[in-house]
Amino acid sequence: MATIGNNSFNAKLVLLGDMGTGKSSLVLRFVKGQFLEFQESTIGAAFFSQTLAVSDATVKLEIWDTAGQERYHSLAPMYYRGAAAAIIVYDISRMESFERAKKWVQELQKQGNPDMVTALAGNKCDLEDKRMVPTEEAQTYAEENRLFFMETSAKTATNVNDIFYEIARRLPRAQPAQQPAGMVLSDRAAARSQASVCCS
Amino acid sequence: MDFDGVFADPNPQLPDPPPDADPSQVDQISSLTLEDAGDAASDEPTAGNESPPTNFHSERNPDFGNTNRDADPSPAEQMSSLTSENPGDAAGCERPAGNGSLHANFYVGSNSHHPDPKPEAPSRVEQISSLTLDSSDAAGAKRSASNGPLPSDFYLAADEIEIVEEVSPVAGDTAGISALGGHGAWREGSELDGEAPPSPSSSGYAGERGSSGASSGIEEVDGPGTLPDDWSRGKRHFDEDDGSLSWRKRKKHYFILSHSGKPIFSRYGDEHRLAGFSATLQAIISFVESSGDHIKYIRAGNHQVVFLVKGPIYLVCISCTEESYDTLKRQVELIYGQMLLILTKSVNRCFERNPKFDMTPLLKGTDAVFSSLIHAFSWNPATFLHAYTCLPLTYATRQAAGAILQDVADSGVLFALLMCKHKVVSLVGAQKASLHPDDMLLLSNFIMASESFRTSESFSPICLPRYNPMVFLYAYVHFLDVMDTYLVLLSTASDSFYHLKDCRIRIENVLVKSNVLSEVQRSMLDGGLHVEDVPLDSSRRSRSLPPQLAADNTIPEFSLSPAITGGPSGLWHFIYRSINLDQYVSSEFSSPISNPSQRKRLFRAYQRLYASMHDKGTGPHKTQFRRDEDFVLLCWITQDFELYAAFDPLAEKAQAIKTCNRVCQWVRDLENEIFLFGASPFSW
Repeated sequence: MATIGNNSFNAKLVLLGDMGTGKSSLVLRFVKGQFLEFQESTIGAAFFSQTLAVSDATVKLEIWDTAGQERYHSLAPMYYRGAAAAIIVYDISRMESFERAKKWVQELQKQGNPDMVTALAGNKCDLEDKRMVPTEEAQTYAEENRLFFMETSAKTATNVNDIFYEIARRLPRAQPAQQPAGMVLSDRAAARSQASVCCS
Repeated sequence: MDFDGVFADPNPQLPDPPPDADPSQVDQISSLTLEDAGDAASDEPTAGNESPPTNFHSERNPDFGNTNRDADPSPAEQMSSLTSENPGDAAGCERPAGNGSLHANFYVGSNSHHPDPKPEAPSRVEQISSLTLDSSDAAGAKRSASNGPLPSDFYLAADEIEIVEEVSPVAGDTAGISALGGHGAWREGSELDGEAPPSPSSSGYAGERGSSGASSGIEEVDGPGTLPDDWSRGKRHFDEDDGSLSWRKRKKHYFILSHSGKPIFSRYGDEHRLAGFSATLQAIISFVESSGDHIKYIRAGNHQVVFLVKGPIYLVCISCTEESYDTLKRQVELIYGQMLLILTKSVNRCFERNPKFDMTPLLKGTDAVFSSLIHAFSWNPATFLHAYTCLPLTYATRQAAGAILQDVADSGVLFALLMCKHKVVSLVGAQKASLHPDDMLLLSNFIMASESFRTSESFSPICLPRYNPMVFLYAYVHFLDVMDTYLVLLSTASDSFYHLKDCRIRIENVLVKSNVLSEVQRSMLDGGLHVEDVPLDSSRRSRSLPPQLAADNTIPEFSLSPAITGGPSGLWHFIYRSINLDQYVSSEFSSPISNPSQRKRLFRAYQRLYASMHDKGTGPHKTQFRRDEDFVLLCWITQDFELYAAFDPLAEKAQAIKTCNRVCQWVRDLENEIFLFGASPFSW
């Protein structure tokens, strides 16, 4: 990918995973360098953007930090549709969050963009003594499903930047510069006309 | 259109709260339908052998819909076991001791007439400023003699804990009962002797009962809008269940459960551990429904259990705060509305598919939202006034904000709101779209209580139950740089995020350039209306004074000394609600009501005043003057506005009336700054 040095593009990245796995904490650690011991539940989805310089390009990541609660599940496609990358997060101290992560992987494989760069993040790796999900098991699963895998800790910042930078490096370079706004506008216009019907 | 004019009538109609719910009266009422209620009450838990059909018709008949009875010991026991299983412990306090005259009044019937022994009881609406002041203070400590002697220990306990918090006007009633039956310990006093008193930091608890002294009370004090971290974090006392003494002593419980009896939400304790309790509530509701009727509430001693059935969702409030049935019902309705805001009414479909559907996972992470709403029931007038309030701003500033919001609304945004805490800076709706004040209350509560909105831009589905309970709208929420000021843009399109984000950037630019944000900040620092600023210029007003009151004008005083303790004539606080605008303005708390418990007491007093003025049975009323040991309360309702004012308990009536006129005039003079005009999509 010998592209020119000042090549820059936008990419949409979505974080998925069970509630309480630390999606928001990962993003906040990455974007703001912060960590809160008691991070409040995300409502709907929170939007962040962060620009990264990788070796040959500048990537502006538009990050969707989605809420893990069940009630928002049906909205997930809204966020992962058109995404260039996804991080599926589980909590190494909770096996059910790993099971949930596998479901997300399946869903993305079925519904998502086939070229999507997908990462599996075993978060809270600082909680080694409470570990329920063995690293090898997750590693094997990731390899079978062609995901790249890292164990992270938003609390100690372990691998947090690494996983985001790794995603940025793996993003296909030739991607046409996305113009989500333009695309969105047309959709919205259609939806709006429906709206005016329903509220009258 | 003057206050005095209204008062010219020498005998303003009394809202006639039935006096103390004295046993004789209750007996009388109950004798009407004693049998039905007897069946209802005693059959309820077993429900098996005695089938209701025999009573079926009479139960359905609206005239007999309200059954009410003076329960004899056995049903009374059942009633009490309702609110508290396990009558053995707690020093037997929740058990009707012996021949205790616990009134378990079973009220069923969906018609509006209910012989509620109104909690209004002790404080009386008075005509002449009398010197005997009946108290409506929950402590009941200084209760006037008419309510019968208080047990001395109760007295002490009350003193110590300073129950002042919970203004329960019926305290007289219950105090009487406790004196007779000796089980008054259920009340506030009993909260003292709990095992392992809940940690003082747990304000959901401390706030509501206000018994842990000043330190914990502080957090719930700080006036409208402040969300002390403590309780906004979500539910407290997660380790409790209905077996815990502390749980049973809570003054106010709220529950959401499904029609199959599955718990969905409980204010205190772990829902899953309350399954049995939930099932009991469900059994009561379905028992009454099986006879073709609807249960509205149960009164058991000083506890009131209010039921609300919304399709497959049941809501229940159990309270010993002596708020009126209407007030509690309104609160439960708001809780239901808050739930709809998160889930929409289409959640009902889950129950159609599977009646045993477990809804708790759907509400995960929203405890803080409900806690904060429940907290608002004791400070936010919007919870009972059906109105919203604006941040005071100059007309030009609000216009500038409105203009840019309108711009955005024209580009396909359904609603655009700029708010500061629970106060509106400006708001605009698309053509024909109207936003109900309740929706605004629920929306701002949802946003203010969810910390996550503050971290960045958010995009979330929400439902405005009064707008359309079936559909989700998509809310773009962004907190601006000024503290607690946020912009909400609502759209019907799920993919409108980028558009709304662009809109926000445009709006924010304009707001910064036109200094709206700095004005907002200044207004926040200045606060709202201060009673001390009510104009003293009596010459202007005197023109409108009717002759018999004009005489008072000759008294030149009341300018200096009262100003030290509030506004003119001992005015401490007021709320003015503009009926056409669906907006209210409330003064800042003046020094005489600076302390949290006083504020809460005033709030409850307003609530009662509102309820009595709008009582469907006896009202609506135009004026009310009420004096008790805490306040003189004056309420005046016209076609255009409602004024609620609180004065020093020693305030003179004539002066108070005069001051109210001034307040009204003052508010009208300031209306361009304290209300939102024009952009209002509310009346169309």
